[in-house]
Amino acid sequence: MKRRQLLKAAAAVSAISVKASGEPSPLEIIDSNVSLFRWPFRRLPLDETKTLVAKMRTLEIGSAMAGSFEGIFHRDLSAVNERLAKECSRFPELHPIGSVNPIASGWEGDFSECVEKHRMSGIRLHPGYHGYELDNPNFAKLIVMAAEAGVVIQLACALEDTRTQNDIVSVPDVDISALPDTGACRVQLLNWRPRGSVPSGVYLDTARIDGTDGIASLLATVSPGRILFGTHAPFLIPEAALIRAVHENQLEEGPLRQILAGNVNRLFGQ
Amino acid sequence: MNLDGKYGLPSRETLEGYRIWDSYFTPSHGHPGADGSSRLIADIERSMHAIKLGCFEKLCYFAHVGLGTTSDADFESLVQAKPETVSIPLERWPDLLIGMIQLNANDVPASLDALDRWLRDGPMRGVYFAGGGPGALTCADTNFYPLVERIAELGGVIMQHTWFKTGGKQGPGESTPSELAELAARFPEQKFLCAHAGGEWEKGIRAVRDSPNILVETSGFDATAGFVEMAVRELGPERVVFGSHLPSRSLGTELSKVTAAEIPEAAKKIILGGNYRLLLGEE
Repeated sequence: MKRRQLLKAAAAVSAISVKASGEPSPLEIIDSNVSLFRWPFRRLPLDETKTLVAKMRTLEIGSAMAGSFEGIFHRDLSAVNERLAKECSRFPELHPIGSVNPIASGWEGDFSECVEKHRMSGIRLHPGYHGYELDNPNFAKLIVMAAEAGVVIQLACALEDTRTQNDIVSVPDVDISALPDTGACRVQLLNWRPRGSVPSGVYLDTARIDGTDGIASLLATVSPGRILFGTHAPFLIPEAALIRAVHENQLEEGPLRQILAGNVNRLFGQ
Repeated sequence: MNLDGKYGLPSRETLEGYRIWDSYFTPSHGHPGADGSSRLIADIERSMHAIKLGCFEKLCYFAHVGLGTTSDADFESLVQAKPETVSIPLERWPDLLIGMIQLNANDVPASLDALDRWLRDGPMRGVYFAGGGPGALTCADTNFYPLVERIAELGGVIMQHTWFKTGGKQGPGESTPSELAELAARFPEQKFLCAHAGGEWEKGIRAVRDSPNILVETSGFDATAGFVEMAVRELGPERVVFGSHLPSRSLGTELSKVTAAEIPEAAKKIILGGNYRLLLGEE
C-alpha cells in the first residue's frame, strides 16, 4: 500500500471509531522526524528499525516520516536512499524521506531517484553537515524542483546541540535567516529551537521545542497549522516530544490533533 | 479523553509510586525579580501543571541570598537588607519546596556567614555553585576548600553546575566534571552532585566514574537517548539523581530520560527520589 493510501486509511479508521463509540477517537499520531540506521557517534537504544517501530507501536505513533542517518556523511546518497527505501518497505509505518546534497555532484539524479524511482513524498537536507548556506543557488534550484515535483523539503536545522558535538565535527545550527522565498515549495524545518521569528510559510517540528510551555508559547505567534509533531528519534527519546505535545502544553483538542497528525497528512498527502 | 498511562507518560499510580523528588528546579534561576520574589513565584506557578502531571512530591530550588550571585546591585542590596524575602516561596509552598542557597566562592567570608545564616539556622538544606554569572568560580579553586569543610560540618548537600562544552568553557568560572572530581577527591566523606552530568554526558560520566562520592544529576540538556542507561551501567543507579530543570526545560524532556530508560523499575525509583532523599537525610 502506498503512503498516501495508508494515510487515508488511517484517517478513515479514526472517523469510524468516532461513529461507532460516540466518543472522541484515540489520538492519531504521525511522527514527521525519525531517522533510520546508525547515528555516527554512538549506538542508540532504538537504532535498530524493528526496535524503533516496536517503540512507535507502544506509544501509539501510527506512522513516521523516516530519513537516514547515513545521509549525513555518506557521499553515495543514491545507495543511501536505496537502502532507506528498502528498509522502509519492510515496515508499513515508515515512509522514506531521501537525502539530497545540492552541492554534491550528481545531486539532480539523487533527487530524481527519490521522486520517480522511490516515490518519496519528501526529501531531507542537511545544510550544516553538507557545508552550504541557504543562499546557495543550487538550493534555490532545488526548491523549484521540489515544488514542481510536489515533494516536501525537510531542512534539518541541527541534529545535535552544538555544545555536545564531537570536537572535530562541530557543526553550527543552520542560519535560517538566509532562507529564500520558498514559493510554492513546502518546507519543514526540523529540530529548530525557537529563536527569533519563524520564516513565513515554513513548517516546524516539535522535536526541540522545549520548556514546559514551549509549544503553547510558540502558538502565540505561529499558527497550529504550521507545527508538525516530530521526535527526532532515535537520537532523542521519543517520549520526550510526545509527553510535551499530548500532556504538558495543555493544548486544545483541535490544535493538538492538527499538530499530531492533521498537518502531516495535509503537508505530505497533497 | 482518558490519557492516563498513555502517550509516553507513565500512569498516575506509577508516578506516585516513584515518589519523585526533584533536585534541580530552576524557576527564574538567574534572578528572582527586582522585588526579590515576583519572577520566581511566577515561574513556580508556570511550572505547576507539570509538577502535578508528574506527581512530584518535592522540588529543590536555588535561592540568591545577597552574595553577589546576580549582577543586579539593587537586588543584592534589597536581599541583604530584607533577607526574609528569600523565604517567601518556602512559606507559600512549605510542603512542596526545598531550598538551597547559591554561594559565591569568590567571596569566601560572606559565603561562610551565609552558611551559618541559612544552613545552620535553616531553612535551607544545601548549596548551589553556579557555572556562570558573577558568583561563578571553577570548583578546582582553593577557595572551595573552607566552604566545603563548613558545608560538610553542617550536613549540607552540594550541587555543582558542570559542563563539558564543545570548544571549551563558556566563561572562566565554569566547572567541568573533571574539576569536580579533583575537588571531591579532597573530601571523600562529602557527597557532591554533578549537575547535568557534564552536559556531554559520555565524557561527564567517565570523568566522575572513579569518584564514589560524586552523583550525577540528569537535567539541562536534550533528551539524548542512552544517557541514563550509561549512567546506571557505569556508576550504578545509586549515583544518579533526577532533576527537572523546570520550567525552562520540560517534564517531557527530563522525566522521560529516566522513565523511558531501559533500566529496572527499582532503579528508576531510586533515581527519581530515593537517592536524593538519602542525601538530604530523609530516608
